[in-house]
Amino acid sequence: MTFRNTTRSWGALSKALHWLIVLLIINQWIIAERAEALTGFAKLKVLGYHKSFGMTILMLAIIRLVWRWMNPVPDLHAETKPWERMLAKISHVLLYGLIFAMPITGWLMSSAKTYSVSWFNLFAFPNLVGKNDGVYQLTHDLHHLLFAALVVVAALHIAGALKHHFIDRNDVLKRMLPFGGVK
Amino acid sequence: MTNYFAALAAVAAVAALGAAACSAAESPAAVKPVAAPAAKPAAAAVTHYVQAPSGSKLAFSFVQAGAENQGEFRQFATVLDYDEKNLAASSLQVIVQTGSFDTQDKDRNDTLAGPELLDPKQFPTARFIATSLSRGAKGIEAVGKLMLHGVTKGLRVPLTIKTTAVGMEISGEATIRRLDYGVGQGDWKTTEWVGDEVKLQYKVALTKVVR
Repeated sequence: MTFRNTTRSWGALSKALHWLIVLLIINQWIIAERAEALTGFAKLKVLGYHKSFGMTILMLAIIRLVWRWMNPVPDLHAETKPWERMLAKISHVLLYGLIFAMPITGWLMSSAKTYSVSWFNLFAFPNLVGKNDGVYQLTHDLHHLLFAALVVVAALHIAGALKHHFIDRNDVLKRMLPFGGVK
Repeated sequence: MTNYFAALAAVAAVAALGAAACSAAESPAAVKPVAAPAAKPAAAAVTHYVQAPSGSKLAFSFVQAGAENQGEFRQFATVLDYDEKNLAASSLQVIVQTGSFDTQDKDRNDTLAGPELLDPKQFPTARFIATSLSRGAKGIEAVGKLMLHGVTKGLRVPLTIKTTAVGMEISGEATIRRLDYGVGQGDWKTTEWVGDEVKLQYKVALTKVVR
């Protein structure tokens, strides 16, 4: 496994970023569900972690996108049908869009509610907007809606990967697995 | 609003008592023929000021989860007796309705008003009473006591004094530690999520009272 991507497989950094973001998103969902039931100090603390992890995802997403531009993207196999290519393209664009949109809507809703975002209490991010109930309500609803969209697109993404592996029997899934070796 | 007027009345009462005490203290001096001429001009030089109906602000800020949060008290009353040439004879009193605060968010307001934090139900007023002013390295300071959340502690409050058309404006910034006053019980005792330091920023428009 190389550090950089090749036209055949994903490199170590791309794989690490992919799976790290997957784990962080699952963690975000668990934390957010817990926070819903809390109030006062406990809620402040749990949401503080949620925001810190969210900003981590945003920073990783930026690195990931830059790295993607700097590297070749592994090709789909020649036998992949045009509709499959189209569906893969759309879902990838949506997934990239969502890993940016989720933290940004979160950052906006925190700013609009005057609960500034910090990174594990070490430093604060600037507020994107001032106190604004309308913006808060809108971004709050969007944050939830976009998560539902993320679940749907991620399910499609997983279904696609499994189809490549079990039906088409190619290495599309294996080449993204942490230790899946494709030369 | 009722509370506000009650506070104003209280301030007025305190001021009246203070004035009465002052004149009582002066009268024995007035008996002495030599001391009298000196004491009278000094007393006359103390000017009485009360907070103007508008133009004042008492803001506070604290760090929550690494970021600064702002709030303000909307109801407070100030009385100042000021003699530029005799700071020791000057005094400052501020009464704050603790329940009048706003931090721009209902959830945070509700939390801050709870029994583990500011608890205005049990401690409806906070008072700062300085019986003298002094000139320190950073300018004029009111040297007094802050009574907050049932705890009284000494506090020096720096004052920048500016003359205005109707009287004067005093402003400045002081920092207190919320845990010194027991603001933060239970989980809130930790300073990891909400900092101990609370910065107070004040600007008070005062009207000169002619007596």
